[in-house]
This record gives sequence, C-alpha cells and structure tokens, in this order.
Amino acid sequence: MRGARSAKWVAGAIVVALAATACGGGDDSGSDDMNKGKADPNGIVTAQLSEPQNPLQPANAKESQGSRVLRTIFAGLVDYEPGTGKLEYVNAESVTPNDDSSEWTVKLKQGWKFHDGTPVTAKSYVDSWNWSANIKNNQTNSSWFADIVGFEDVHPEKGDPKSDKMSGLKVVDDNTFTIKLTQPVSYFAYKLGYDVWAPLPEAFFKDPKGFGQKPVGNGPYKFVSWEHNKLIKVRKFADYKGPNAAKNGGIDFKNYTTADAAYSDLRSNNVDWIEQVPTTALTNYKSDLGDRAIDEPYSAVQSIVPAFYTKQFKDIDPKVIQGLSMAIDRQTITKTVLQGTRTPADSYVAPGVLGYKQGALGDIVKFDPAKAKKLIQEGGGVPGNKIQIQYNADQDHKPWVDAVCNSIRKSTGVECTGDPKPTFQADLDARDKEQVKSMYRGGWVLDYPVNSNFMRDLYGSTAAGNTSGYSNKEFDKLSSEADKAGSIDETVAKYQEAEQLLAKDMPAIPLWFYKVNSGQSTKILGKIKYGQDGDPIFDQIQVKQK
Amino acid sequence: MPDVTKAQTTDAATVDAVAPPAVDAPGKQSAQQSEKPRSLWGDAWYDLRHRPMFWISSVLLVLLLVIAAFPGWFTSVDPRDGDLVHHYLGKPQLGHFFQPDWFGYDQQGRSIYSRVIHGTRASILVGVCVTAAVTLIGGLLGMLAGYFGGWVDSVISRVVDIFFGLPFLLGTMVVLNAFTERKVYVVILALAFLGWTSIARVMRSSVITAKQADYVTAARALGAGTPRILFRHVMPNAVAPTIVVATIALGGYISAEATLSFLGLGLSDPTISWGIDISEGSKVIRDNPHTLLFPAGMLSLTVFAFIMLGDAVRDALDPKLR
Repeated sequence: MRGARSAKWVAGAIVVALAATACGGGDDSGSDDMNKGKADPNGIVTAQLSEPQNPLQPANAKESQGSRVLRTIFAGLVDYEPGTGKLEYVNAESVTPNDDSSEWTVKLKQGWKFHDGTPVTAKSYVDSWNWSANIKNNQTNSSWFADIVGFEDVHPEKGDPKSDKMSGLKVVDDNTFTIKLTQPVSYFAYKLGYDVWAPLPEAFFKDPKGFGQKPVGNGPYKFVSWEHNKLIKVRKFADYKGPNAAKNGGIDFKNYTTADAAYSDLRSNNVDWIEQVPTTALTNYKSDLGDRAIDEPYSAVQSIVPAFYTKQFKDIDPKVIQGLSMAIDRQTITKTVLQGTRTPADSYVAPGVLGYKQGALGDIVKFDPAKAKKLIQEGGGVPGNKIQIQYNADQDHKPWVDAVCNSIRKSTGVECTGDPKPTFQADLDARDKEQVKSMYRGGWVLDYPVNSNFMRDLYGSTAAGNTSGYSNKEFDKLSSEADKAGSIDETVAKYQEAEQLLAKDMPAIPLWFYKVNSGQSTKILGKIKYGQDGDPIFDQIQVKQK
Repeated sequence: MPDVTKAQTTDAATVDAVAPPAVDAPGKQSAQQSEKPRSLWGDAWYDLRHRPMFWISSVLLVLLLVIAAFPGWFTSVDPRDGDLVHHYLGKPQLGHFFQPDWFGYDQQGRSIYSRVIHGTRASILVGVCVTAAVTLIGGLLGMLAGYFGGWVDSVISRVVDIFFGLPFLLGTMVVLNAFTERKVYVVILALAFLGWTSIARVMRSSVITAKQADYVTAARALGAGTPRILFRHVMPNAVAPTIVVATIALGGYISAEATLSFLGLGLSDPTISWGIDISEGSKVIRDNPHTLLFPAGMLSLTVFAFIMLGDAVRDALDPKLR
C-alpha cells in the first residue's frame, strides 16, 4: 500500500476519498509508440489491488483498496475536476444551498438506472444515507453524516438509535430531496463527492451482507465476481448515463502481496497498472519503463506531529516546534533519500486543493540551522533534549525518518531517534490510545478538495483526525466562522487566515507533498490520467487494439 | 587403583592413561612418553599451538575485541553523523585507508567505515554474553540432570525438550516483539532464553559418562560430598564437549543477532549494528552494493573467526572427531 494512502487516519483510519471519475479525456502527449494504434472499447484493463478490508458497501471502505473498487461501481452526486478541484455534477442535476448554506436541495438527473435495472431515485440516496449512518449497521465511515440534522438519533454516542431515519433528509419527489444541516457549511456540496454518499438499490436493504460480497451500483462499471485474495472483476455498464462512461471494457483487479512482484509483472506486461514502484526500483524505473513511467504529484502531505498529551509537549512553546521545523533540510532529503518522490511542503494544505497558497508557511519550512537553534533556545529548549518519531515499519518510512532525525540532531543538537511500530495497525492503535511517546508521522490525503479538509478535520479540537490532543480555541472559532461564511470563496479565504494562526501555533511540522511513482504496461493507449488522490481515473483508460 | 590423593589433582591424566588418543602417530606418542605426562588441557594447548587455523582466528579475534573495546582508536568520525549534501551514497575509495570514505557512504550519508567499526561492539557483546549465559544455564542444568538422574533428570530433560521444540529464531522474534526499545541486553536475554538447550543436552550426556568413572567411585568411597565430587571431579572431565559446542555456537549467535536486526526485531537505533546496516543496504543493493557488502563482509569475517576457533578447539579437545 502506498505511504500517504495508508497514512490517512481521518475518523479512525485510512480514508481515500474522491470518486475520481469525471474528467475530460484524451489530449495525449508523450511518445509516439504509446499513442500509436486504435483504442479497443472492449479491452480489459488489469490493475493492482490488495484485498479490501471490508465488504464492498459504500460507507465501509476507510482504506484505499476497497475504495478503489467502489468508485468504479458507484457514481455519486458530484465529482471534482482533477487539477483544479472544481465541482462537476455526475448523478446530480444540481445541488443548491439556501441563503445561509444550512439547507441543500439536490435534484437528480432523470433516467438513471442501477445495474439491476431498478431506477435511481431520491429515495435511493436518502435510504442509503440513513442506513450507512445507523450505528447498528456499524459502517466505518458513518461519522461522515454527522453534519445532517438527526444524526444523533440514528448514531447516538451510547446505546440504541432512537430512530432509523435522519430528520434532516426529506424526499420531495422522485428526483428531488433536501438535506438540512445542523449548522451552515458553505462547501457541503464538495463533501458529496466522497464514496459514502452513493445511492443504494432496493435490493440492498434485503440482504446488506450478501450485497457487500456482490454489490449492485449505479456507476460506469458493474460488479462481476470477487475471488477473495485473488481477483475482482468489473465490466462496463452499457446503460450508464453519466459523463464518465467507461472507455474500456472492464477492469480486472489483481491481488499482489509485494510491490516487487507487481513491478516485475508490469515489466512483463501481465498487469497494466501498478500502485507504486518498489523502493528497490525507484532509481531505475524511469529507464526501465521509459515513457510509461508515471511521476505525478497528488494532493497529500506528510508531516510529523507532536503528541500534545505527553509531558514533553504539553506546555511547549510553539517556537521550539518552529525551530525543529527549520532544522529539517527538506530540499536535500527529498532529492536524495526520497529520490524525488516527494516535493518539500510549504503549506499545511496540499497543492491542487482550493485554498492552497504557495509559500504559505514562509520561513518556518526553510532550512536554517542557526535560526533553528536560536528559536529552540528562545522557546526554552526541548524537554529532555530528545525526541522520537513514531512510524510503521511495514512501509518504507525508516529512510526518511532517519534522515529527518539526522538533520535535526546535526543542526540543533537535539537527540532524535525513530520509534518503529511493526505494523500500520499498531502505529494507529498507539495514536488512538494516546500512547505515542514523543512525536509521530502523519500523512493526509484529501477527502474533498477544500483547504478546510487539511485544517479543520485535522487540528480542530473535536475533529476525528485530531489524534495529537492539539486544541486551540481561537482556531476552532475561526474555522466555525469560516464554515458559516456566505460563499465557498470566503470560506477558503478564512481558512487561509486560520493557516497563518496555525503557523504560529505549530500543531504539526509539514514535511513534504506526495507524488505518484508508478507505471503502465505497453497495452495501454496514451498516458493514464490521475485523480487528485493519486489513483488513476479508471474509466478513462484506453486499451490498444490487438 | 591409582593413589586417590593424586587422582584428585590429575584426574585428567588418568583419563588419558586409560584411553590414550588413538589417532596420535606412534612416533609422536613415544616422544610424548619421554616427557612429563600432560593433562587433557595441556595436551589441547600443545595441539592448538601447532595449528595455523588457531593462530589466524586468534589474531582476528584479538583485533575484533580491540575494535569492539576501543572503536575510537580506528576512526574519529561519528557513525551517526550523516551528511546528505556531499556524501549521499558516496562510493568507496579503496585507496583511502582508515579514512571516513574508505568504504564509501550509506543512504544517510554516514561513513560506512565508521559504522562497521562501531557496529563491532554490539555483535561481539551479543556473541560473548549469550554464549556465557547459555553455557552457565545449560551447563548447570545439564550437569544436574546427568549426575542425579531419576526424577531430576526427567524434569530437566522434559523442560529441555519443550524449549528444544520451539523454533529458535521464531521464538526469539516473539520474545523481542514484546519490547519496544531493544537494547543490547534485551537481545542477549532473548537469545539466551531459547539457546541453552543444546548445551544442556551435551553436558548431560558427558556427565553421565564421567560420573561412572572409577575416580568418582573412589572419591565417593573416601567420603567426598556431592558438591565436591561434582565440581572437582565430574565437571572438569565433562566440560570439554560443552566448550566446543559453545565456541562454535558463538558465531551462530552473532549471525542470529544480525538476522534479527535485519528483520527489524533485533537491536534498534541508536545502537549501531551490522544487521541494521545490512538491512538498509539490501534496499539499495542494485546501484550501491557497497552499502551491503562491507557490513556483511565484516559480519562474515567475525562469524568465520569464531567458528574456525571453535573447530580448532574441538579438534584439540576431542581428538576422536578429528
């Protein structure tokens, strides 16, 4: 699994959002070879996948693998344009707020059908959300519905739900429904692009469990078969009405246990797309694959986060954390140890997200050993003069953790060591149980392309993604003001202000932004297009005619 | 029946007299007979002195011990001090003897030469301490089982069987997994915890042989107490095979430590260990084999030296196996 991906700990663990489906197609660039030949509309794409953690239910995939499959089977109300993050309608005709953005009206496009032939109606959405939010159904992403009025009734903190319907959801007619929110959220429409907001057919509610093994959706592909730990097959849905109809015949998701095996299969054309080039091949993959190598940025950031519940960081002067940040030579580390797979971070928000501002953090992320030392001294030093960075050893984090530590130790004299946890699960458990000894590695992939996702959902006092114990009343106030702002532009601008506040308070040290380093087989026509979450836009992949 | 008072001090000679080494050349034997008869240990030492293998491994080991004790004599560079700007994966400069760039630089821009030198201590410490611990535990238990027999033997032997049934590496991994910060002593404890069984078995069988010897009967007849018989008569005559097994196993423990560190379950930062470096080097081996070869070479050399010494000691102490 890719680093940033699995690093996602929002609402408890890994979230990869963004149905990266809609996108304009085809301006091909690159070598002639790759672009020669005709597309076969029925060609099958073979792609790498690990076994999804949970059954394939829309609100039950907090990790990238299940999400990857779900996104091909379901189509949501909206989607985002890659690169700009602009909202595009998919199943929705329109999504419109009232004056203060506290109530939203959704109108659906007519004539859409599920793969079993039943129509997609307003009820399909409302029933789906009510079911997913219900605490009894135990969906990992149920907290996504918390903005809706009546969420506490179906998902109380303790005990049985009082109702099985959220009072904020109302069906007006077959193609219209309204959503009432507990407080105004100007960018609520942006959230609707995530997997959890998918509709479900009548058949689902009769047997949700069986459905999880054999899902029926409304997306560009219909589900065919699932051989556990081996293969998931989806095929083109001929009656699909959306803007992102599949340009290939279907996808075979093949299971691999190691990145190395997938990579050698890619080189021998047994798989058409792999998730990530293994570290062992990073220096050579561009010469191995030529034009077929993929090296593109996506919207994710990696940082190191002080655990504010520890004695060490409880009453720390933010200057000390600023000093630690300035002691890290991001330029050199990304170029050498990370071999160009990341770019130095200059903001809490990743590029490609609304509200990302180049250089937002200014000098705080510039390498300056002298100033770093001075800041740490002014802030009263690091208690114990020693820090540890917790990471999971089942992924390739050790090299950069060591490099960051070396950089800190060399420029400030603060002793620094890595604290490996054997698995990602153990790493997350330690964070959730507040057992981190000093600092931990954090990664964050966008859920929806608005800068609030990189701030409110991480550093808000009650945010599910806030596992460091950070709390700043002023920031909470500013972010709730920003949410209530009249337009999305105002919200984004307010959050940019909030970012400057965070820069003074340092809830985390941003390190670098992620890139996809992958490759495609010779069977693919043109270069594969990527969504902002670093996954390919599968429905736009074209297979060469044989 | 030999004089009993004499037997106490020269049991070993008695053994030799009873069963002279069969393979010794007749000429050599007659030459020996003209000298004062040597003890088992004296004979072993005589034998060792004439083996080049013994001398090569001894010189190597002395050098390694000095490096382990005083790494500062060999390099003045901090093994943890990396400089990515100039030294990221720098290639070895084989002409620059004892310079930081002699063996090149690793992924963090640290001098591999310095890391190899500073990594010696952990490996030697683990090897020597684990061997000492297993010899002590295994030797003692094996001796008790062999000497007393009966239910003591049954109990100890079954415990040995149980521990023997646990896969060594897998078992130590499970033990080490329970620790978050793994320093040298933790690794030593984990290895010793599961490593003592073979020594116990060897000790038990050689004690069983030794306790039936005439001088033991004689000592008992003269009223010597159990501890005296055990430590003055039985142990000195039964310890030779144990020493052989222990010396050979020492190299094995060093490589076990490296294996565990390689898997990320042995020593952890900031301890410097060849195993950790080998693990890191293996990831960039395609373009930078030097990051792997030097720590791996040093590890092989050390294990080789200990095993060679073990072989020499075995040949000297147990001529039947020669």
